[in-house]
Amino acid sequence: MHLRKLSIDDLSAVMRLERESFPSDAWHEDSMRAELQSPNCHYVGLFDNELVGYAGLSTIPGTFSSDVQTIAVAPAQRGKGFGKLLFQELLAKAKSLGSEQALLEVRIDNEPAIELYKAFGFERIDVRKRYYQPDDVDALIMRLRIEQPLVLGIESTCDETGVGIVRGNRLLANALHSSMDEHAKYGGVVPEVAARAHLEAIKPTLEKALAEAGVAMRDIDAIAVANGPGLAGALMVGIGAAKGLALAYDKPIYAVNHLVGHVGADVLERGYVQLPTIALLVSGGHTSLIHVKDLLGDAELLGETIDDAAGEAFDKVARVLGLPYPGGPQIDTLAATGNPAAIRFPRGLSLPKDMEKHRYDFSFSGLKTAVARYVEKAEIEGTDINPSDVAASFREAVVDVLLTKAIDACERLGVPRLLLGGGVVANARLREEAAKRCEARGIELRIPRFSLCTDNGAMIAALGAQLVMAGHQPSSLGFGAESTLEVTTVQTL
Amino acid sequence: MLLAIDTSAGTSAAVVAGELKSLVVYDDPFGHAENIGLAIRSALADAEVKISEISGVVIGRGPAPYTGLRVGMAAGLGIAGALGLPTYGVMIFDAVAHSLGTGRFVLSSDAKRRELFIAAYDNQVLVEGPSVMAPDQLDKFAGFEQVSASCDAGKLGLYAEFALAKGIDLSDVSALYLRSPDVSPSAGKKVSG
Repeated sequence: MHLRKLSIDDLSAVMRLERESFPSDAWHEDSMRAELQSPNCHYVGLFDNELVGYAGLSTIPGTFSSDVQTIAVAPAQRGKGFGKLLFQELLAKAKSLGSEQALLEVRIDNEPAIELYKAFGFERIDVRKRYYQPDDVDALIMRLRIEQPLVLGIESTCDETGVGIVRGNRLLANALHSSMDEHAKYGGVVPEVAARAHLEAIKPTLEKALAEAGVAMRDIDAIAVANGPGLAGALMVGIGAAKGLALAYDKPIYAVNHLVGHVGADVLERGYVQLPTIALLVSGGHTSLIHVKDLLGDAELLGETIDDAAGEAFDKVARVLGLPYPGGPQIDTLAATGNPAAIRFPRGLSLPKDMEKHRYDFSFSGLKTAVARYVEKAEIEGTDINPSDVAASFREAVVDVLLTKAIDACERLGVPRLLLGGGVVANARLREEAAKRCEARGIELRIPRFSLCTDNGAMIAALGAQLVMAGHQPSSLGFGAESTLEVTTVQTL
Repeated sequence: MLLAIDTSAGTSAAVVAGELKSLVVYDDPFGHAENIGLAIRSALADAEVKISEISGVVIGRGPAPYTGLRVGMAAGLGIAGALGLPTYGVMIFDAVAHSLGTGRFVLSSDAKRRELFIAAYDNQVLVEGPSVMAPDQLDKFAGFEQVSASCDAGKLGLYAEFALAKGIDLSDVSALYLRSPDVSPSAGKKVSG
């Protein structure tokens, strides 16, 4: 006896059982095919050599609601608890998808089924007269309220102190304190400055998040904290605070991966992350290309920067052009009036000889140096440069190489989806060019709203909630900061 | 009943209520993030108290190497914030001096980079510091016994009870770094060549 997810390959077995179970009102094969093929449906089957029962659930993303579509057990196999087993599986799935209720309809004369649903906590909310034809029987509409976990997430991997609160996949609060202004005079993030700022910001940011969500600390079901990758000293402040919170009310704690958090942020936008997907995460600390097959289990780092992160390159080039930190917005503004084709700056690791070892890796150090040399040469020769053209041409080189490699990954791996995350997503040209190139190649582009793209606590809370909803065990209290945590480790146990 | 937390050297947590009820110490000078939760949980368990019975949280403000120091402070702020309890900040040398009793002491601990954090006490009264200085400067404290100070959460907790009873203000819960971050403002230097 075993239970597994059904696919279109199971259609004929399902139809055989469907006709046997519902002689007068079996679904048409076309309807069943559509169900088995729908990305919004989840069908499970129970097998004892052959199919002996099946059940299906439909969940429209963003509705926070699941519908039990059908449940059937072969006539000869009834009364053995198989229906209950299938039903349990569906409800676990509904919970893991973030649904806050499950609805079903049942023939009013099907007393064993009604009793089963009642035992699971379903309540009668309505009657649909003469719903089942041709038998002319009423349908009872029943509802189960599903309690989703209230999770508080803490982010302190770099220069943003973030505290987010979610209930399941629903965003309740996303409080943020940035120490970016304090780093401006140094031209980049200084780890010790960032860590000091985290300690000062953690309590007020926590209070702000609780007020925003309208919940009290005692109501929180679980704590999540990003324990890497990031700056060790900064991470440790978040970890210390998270452990304190967990101990205060004896709550479970989940140590989660910051990068996977970026990928998971999309659950707060549309209730789920469409998988598999290629994720391009670009910030001042990371430039990573990831192939995500399962948010909680299977992610592969395809490539990353071998020197500077893309955001760092923006900061450094801004300095060369005499612009303040952070460089991204400054360059973006300056580039708006420049000609992106004025100067052909190099695209790192894009030559045929790089493809074998570094197909999906990035390098921005050479580009940064090329811009610096261009500017210095003009200074030495006493000629004028057009800063707008330099900014536009530099930005074009970064955007070009990021998207060329990301789309190459989508196409070579046969994954028609691209998800963007990280602070560099604020760059107007990157978003515009990504939309254009993805559209041209039939790739679905996802860009969560900006406050969920930059480092934030809500994405950490959301990933923690995903783990809770899927029934994963909490982390032990003895985990530490992992500054070089691999993207394959979703949770540190 | 106070919960005290210190990560100025190793990681320690203690419960005090008129006396030391429990003290748990992890000596590892690098495992603060790993050990902080375990130390607090064990200190509560050893004292056989529930966290809901605690009336205030004492945190060591340093001076101490920064990375570890912040872990204990963040945990203390987290617990106090969550439970709505007062947080009491203690300069660690005050706690060590209190544990030594009467006399003239110059207390010191490793500040890294061949320097010491120091504070001098004359019969419990702070007469100099806390500050950072080179070891040879300790010679100027003639007539003071030189004590290599090591703090722990037990000393912090006992001192906090004493200080609160005396009406000493412990409301400052900011970290005592005594040094600016190791960095100088950008000179806009060239990045190539």
